[in-house]
Amino acid sequence: MWIVTLKGLLGHKLRFMLTGLAVVLGVAFMAGTLVLTDTIQVIFDDLVASVNDGTDAFVRSNEVVDSAFGEERNRVSAALLPQVRAVQGVAQAEGDLQFYAQVVDAKGEAIGNPGRGAASFGFIWNPGRLNAYRLVAGNSPSAAGEVVIDRGTAKKGNLRVGSKVKVLSQSAPQDFKVAGIVTFGEADSPAGASVSLFTSEEAQRLSGALGQYDGISVSAVDGVSQEQMVRRIDAALSDPKVEVISGATLTKENQDEFTQQLSFFSTALLAFALISLFVGSFIIFNTFSIIVAQRTREIGLMRAIGASRSQIVKSVIAEAALVGILASAVGLGIGILLAAGLKALLAGLGIDIPAGATQVLPRTIIVCLGVGTFVTIAASVLPSRKASRVSPMQALRSTGSDPMKQLGRRSTIGVVITAVGVGSLLYGLFGNVENPTLFVGIGALVVFLGVAALGPVIARPVSRVLAAPLPKLKGMVGVLARENAVRNPRRTASTAAALMIGVALVGFITIFAASIKNSIATAVDSAFTADFVVAAKGGGPPVLSGFSPDLAQKIKEVPGVGASSGLRFAGAELQGKGVFIIASDPATSTELFDVQPESGDFKQLGIDDVAVSSDRMKKEGWVLGQRISAKFPKGASTLKITAVFGLGQQAGLSDYFISLAGYDAHYTQQLDSQVYAKVADDANPRVVGREIQKILKEYPTAELLDQEQFKATRSGQVDQILNLIYALLALAVVIALIGIANTLGLSIVERTNELGLLRAVGMTRRQLRSAIRWESVIIALLGTALGLVIAVFFGWALVTALRDQGLSGFVAPIDRLAVIVVLAGFAGVIAAILPARRAARLNVLDAISQE
Amino acid sequence: MNTVTKTSAARAVAASKIYGSGDAEVRALDSINVEFASGMFTAIMGPSGSGKSTLLHVLAGLDPVTSGEVFIGEIELSTLKDKELTLVRRDRLGFVFQSFNLIPTLNALENMTLPLSLGGRKVDPAWQDEVVKAVGLGDRLGHRPNELSGGQQQRVAVARALLSKPEIVFADEPTGNLDSRSSSEVLSFMRAAVDNFGQTIVMVTHDAGAAAYADRVVFLADGRIEAELMNPTSATVLDRMKQLGG
Repeated sequence: MWIVTLKGLLGHKLRFMLTGLAVVLGVAFMAGTLVLTDTIQVIFDDLVASVNDGTDAFVRSNEVVDSAFGEERNRVSAALLPQVRAVQGVAQAEGDLQFYAQVVDAKGEAIGNPGRGAASFGFIWNPGRLNAYRLVAGNSPSAAGEVVIDRGTAKKGNLRVGSKVKVLSQSAPQDFKVAGIVTFGEADSPAGASVSLFTSEEAQRLSGALGQYDGISVSAVDGVSQEQMVRRIDAALSDPKVEVISGATLTKENQDEFTQQLSFFSTALLAFALISLFVGSFIIFNTFSIIVAQRTREIGLMRAIGASRSQIVKSVIAEAALVGILASAVGLGIGILLAAGLKALLAGLGIDIPAGATQVLPRTIIVCLGVGTFVTIAASVLPSRKASRVSPMQALRSTGSDPMKQLGRRSTIGVVITAVGVGSLLYGLFGNVENPTLFVGIGALVVFLGVAALGPVIARPVSRVLAAPLPKLKGMVGVLARENAVRNPRRTASTAAALMIGVALVGFITIFAASIKNSIATAVDSAFTADFVVAAKGGGPPVLSGFSPDLAQKIKEVPGVGASSGLRFAGAELQGKGVFIIASDPATSTELFDVQPESGDFKQLGIDDVAVSSDRMKKEGWVLGQRISAKFPKGASTLKITAVFGLGQQAGLSDYFISLAGYDAHYTQQLDSQVYAKVADDANPRVVGREIQKILKEYPTAELLDQEQFKATRSGQVDQILNLIYALLALAVVIALIGIANTLGLSIVERTNELGLLRAVGMTRRQLRSAIRWESVIIALLGTALGLVIAVFFGWALVTALRDQGLSGFVAPIDRLAVIVVLAGFAGVIAAILPARRAARLNVLDAISQE
Repeated sequence: MNTVTKTSAARAVAASKIYGSGDAEVRALDSINVEFASGMFTAIMGPSGSGKSTLLHVLAGLDPVTSGEVFIGEIELSTLKDKELTLVRRDRLGFVFQSFNLIPTLNALENMTLPLSLGGRKVDPAWQDEVVKAVGLGDRLGHRPNELSGGQQQRVAVARALLSKPEIVFADEPTGNLDSRSSSEVLSFMRAAVDNFGQTIVMVTHDAGAAAYADRVVFLADGRIEAELMNPTSATVLDRMKQLGG
């Protein structure tokens, strides 16, 4: 039996290469993701370890808020520093600060890629072991007005020692002299981030942390362990709001935090890799089904000469296993190469990952080979069972496609599976469950399987409708294309199902993005009453960036500006729940945003007051005037609800507003995310806009937008993410196209006689190619039609489920969906190129005389 | 040999077909000269390997000759490209094969009109009625091949060959897979096509009974024409075969 298996494989090399390709691509994607993230992980772990290399203990505040914006921790008093230094065994102790500092070059351009690249950080220059940087030119910063920058920044901004630069921070933009240039180990900069280092006093001034540090790094004398050091400092300090951790713990925490961020990224990529493999499994299933059908005679013969059913099953599965293992191995190899390529790509985008050995962990090898082989074998189980049902008698009859049997049963099964999938999906979205993603994900998967099971039942009628204009358009060629597409609905359906998945996801994400964009537009239209907004170019990273409040102040002073306010986005815990808060100037806010105040006085929000949306009030059962507990980076507090307003998160805003004064009191860093301005009634908006533009010359990371432009840039950001997801889904679509090409190729082998006959009675090569092309287009459009139906359902379900999160309504962008249909049609044409060429090349005489 | 006075529908002039080379060389056709007159039903007979099928394929433009010339009417086939050959087949020739004659996804009528629709030509309705009547399928025209008997399928194939009014119909063992009753139905239909419509038919067969339906029988052996017989009967054909077979 094993020899038969092996011979079967060798006899159909091309066929199995195509099948294998589906697995190769999916596995390569998976391997590439794992290798890349492992490599980044190791590089970053090393990076963190070397940053903290000299740190044996770290003193910091224990007041911390973990929000959507990451972990925000309170600062500690600089007065702790002499106390720490006095502890026995401390060799060196220095205060640390990390803050937003963006270097601007002589041309007035922000260095780096503030829109989407790595962040720009300011730090205190610490001497000795507590400094992770190495001077390669100039000196350490020793006075006010001096800055040391990383070599990456120096190169990008064409800066050298003695150059004059401007630094943006939460203080007003200021000039600095480059005192020195550093490297991070051998690298120009740590992971591509821009770094500027200042004296302790300058750093405190720039970050608004006078008399404060983020923490104190301690280096112990030789012979004192990290644990001993921690215990001694802990004993010496009496402040209950201060904690001491070892250098190792600090490193571990930093590494874990990064691992968490990275795992979000790798999970997302792996999800797309699994989608590709899922699509690939349809192709494997299809290929094995067709092969089994074509080999009916051979299998019957083997049964006749004494092969048992289980031997037939094993032989088919063994064939699948071999294909799976080989393809997974090739995919793994390609994935490893791909990871290197991806790294280069990231470097090209300005995310410079320092040099480090590519990490191919045993886990990567095991997972990739295992998953790839498993998918292949799983997809071949049904075809193998079908093979085992071939009776010895069938050796004697001619081959041929099996007629459709048990359609009724199949419909029932398909409908039941689809219903289960839909149920799970809806339960996940609306059922208020612990782990909605799981239910939604499995539900989506089951819906795909259910519709795929229904496929053979609906393939024929739907294809006939889709192909209805063909006979008119292409005459007999059109008739043949249509009839060939529907002659084996099972095969057509499972081929189309592979594309259906890709199209469903592409369509779904298109619908979802359109709904988001529509919600943004609606929110801006309904709430945005300002004339201008100043926002970060390209959106900007959400943490450790923004504008100095100096910008809002200068805009306020522009003649003709009526009302203006900086706007800050913040995370906090209210009544123990993590929430998203907007901070603004309450006196002017109601003129800039129409939040529809309902009760209380929005304009009088004080430091410890909060305005809450009426929607949220109802949900939480709060009343005006009630006090709620709050936890901010600067510590716990109690907020009084002094105003209730209408447009909350449902309208794309926030359920909570606090005053800028309140933000100031509760948060360490003071940066505006946006600045809003309304032109006074008697002023000319154009003139005012020009004046604001002048101010922005000093703020190269900012851009001035009117309401329409603001909408456009927000939509643009959605489109960027949309395009990224399109790119990630492209592989699944490509695999589906390989599937169409594969099926057509196999069908052509089956139809050799028929094609020969057609050619003999006068079909030209061109007509033959055209017939196959249109058959392919019909299959592609069938997959697209099914996919779009699912896409609309998924989109509607998710948008409805997220109504509370600020999605105002379901929007199906007809134009974009139409583009998908057209592209799918073209994709069908492309998939048909090789099979059509092969069919056209058939020798007529060979074809008609072949048995 | 030239008892035929009508114009020739197809002819081969010194046509040779050689497969392989050196020791493996096989002369399927050995410088053959033969002519097929218009309006005549000719049968080609011979033992297997005699080259009778090759002759048919060469005449039909399905297989190029190694040397010599082949004419359909006045068109010399060896100079034509694939596209032109295809059009000759579509517009001037008709085919009936031993098996697999019909496209399984098309019904009987669609199969019959296939060459015409491929050429984008309209069927002459009067002619179609006549052929359909002659084919004797009655109400089964809308049926697919797998719903027709073997004899019915072959008759549809003959009808297809006739419908485009080709200059010549080539039939390769059209009754090879049929029982005797179905065979006679198909052969009578072909005979009628020659008698009533003036159709030219060249048929390869190994069955003396089938050959008896023809006006003329050409006997092949080893790629050469060994003998000819006009107005054959089963008996005279069998007789001649015996002589040739030795």
